[in-house]
Amino acid sequence: MVNETPNGATSDAARWAALIEAVATRGDRAAFAALFEHFAPRIKTFMRRSGASEQSADEFAQEALLAVWSKARLFDPGSVGAAAWIFTIARNLRIDVLRREKRGGRDHTVEIDPEFHVDEGPQPDAGLAASEVESRVRDALTHLSEDQLRVIELSFFDEKAHAEIAQTLQIPLGTVKSRLRLAMNRLRGQLGDFS
Amino acid sequence: MTIHHHPPEELLVAFAAGLLDLGQHVAVATHLVGCPHCRAMVRTMEHVGGLVLADLPPTAMSVGALAAVEARLDGPGSSLAVPPRVGAGLADVPGLPPFVREYSAGPWRWIAPKVHLRAIQLPVASATRVFLLRSRPGTKMIEHTHTGFEMSCVLSGSFVHAGGHFGPGDFDFGDGTDDHEIMIDSAEDCICLVAMQGDLKLNGMIGRLLQPLIRM
Repeated sequence: MVNETPNGATSDAARWAALIEAVATRGDRAAFAALFEHFAPRIKTFMRRSGASEQSADEFAQEALLAVWSKARLFDPGSVGAAAWIFTIARNLRIDVLRREKRGGRDHTVEIDPEFHVDEGPQPDAGLAASEVESRVRDALTHLSEDQLRVIELSFFDEKAHAEIAQTLQIPLGTVKSRLRLAMNRLRGQLGDFS
Repeated sequence: MTIHHHPPEELLVAFAAGLLDLGQHVAVATHLVGCPHCRAMVRTMEHVGGLVLADLPPTAMSVGALAAVEARLDGPGSSLAVPPRVGAGLADVPGLPPFVREYSAGPWRWIAPKVHLRAIQLPVASATRVFLLRSRPGTKMIEHTHTGFEMSCVLSGSFVHAGGHFGPGDFDFGDGTDDHEIMIDSAEDCICLVAMQGDLKLNGMIGRLLQPLIRM
């Protein structure tokens, strides 16, 4: 692998992609179990940090992996990295889930599963292998300051993220927003021709 | 189409993270259809999301979780899935994301002189309602949102207010702090997709609902 990173991130990505493809082409249950062992506990952490209860986060992680199984055929390793693909599956599932849970009704039977395909026409990064995009993003992240990284990471977890980030980092809300904007601009700058 | 007005960065990040409610998500997705620039930003954030997810420390799953999921692998699929949608009420509206075109929609309803509204029925209740707003050329209105923020994405035609000129693909984000006088300045009808926070109890009472939004 050209983009092998010291921590083995790229080979991990290739392994996960191969596992998803094994699920897609052969319904490979051992491959599914391997994906489950790695991703379900992390999706659970993700949901716990987003404010979900222990039980709800556990159920959510199970549903997300079930969706990975049923959507595996839609995975296109040429256009998206395995981790990003699994992230977007969990992302789509969690839209409104937390909000509804706060309203009291934990009705897990009528949740939404929209396919948020908004891509029409060629992708700006078409032709760039997903593994390269992912390693570029990883690389770009290392160029951000600790503060910028923290703001970006925390931005993934809660709808009230910005107010809470401000509280956590003990900085004004405006500073959170400007740090996020700076970080995004730096990311975009680092990625250059890709975005 | 040249797009001049984009959603703020924090909104794109929240979109990529899945933190918007469905109504808001639809509004941003509609902008993304026409905006490769913001699509690239969202895709970048999705990659970041993948890396964030992959680097999180694991939380042990409940005992038997894998077995429980394995037992369901050959079943009818996730219980989170919605039943198949009926009708294609919005197939005739250009500029909408494909997934939105499958939602059903009400009829066009008159809400004010030269202004019609068509409600979009989301598959699940959302705190943010979504509708199409069609205004005749030359219409002037006061946009006044006191309930919360409002997002509009122009599908066709154009309008102008103190914040600039908005044509197809442009995204107008109002946080409820300003009153804008809006003027439709295109020769053809201006159609926007609007996502607006409001009190769910008002659902169905479109006339009253829009009173604070549009005053002639």
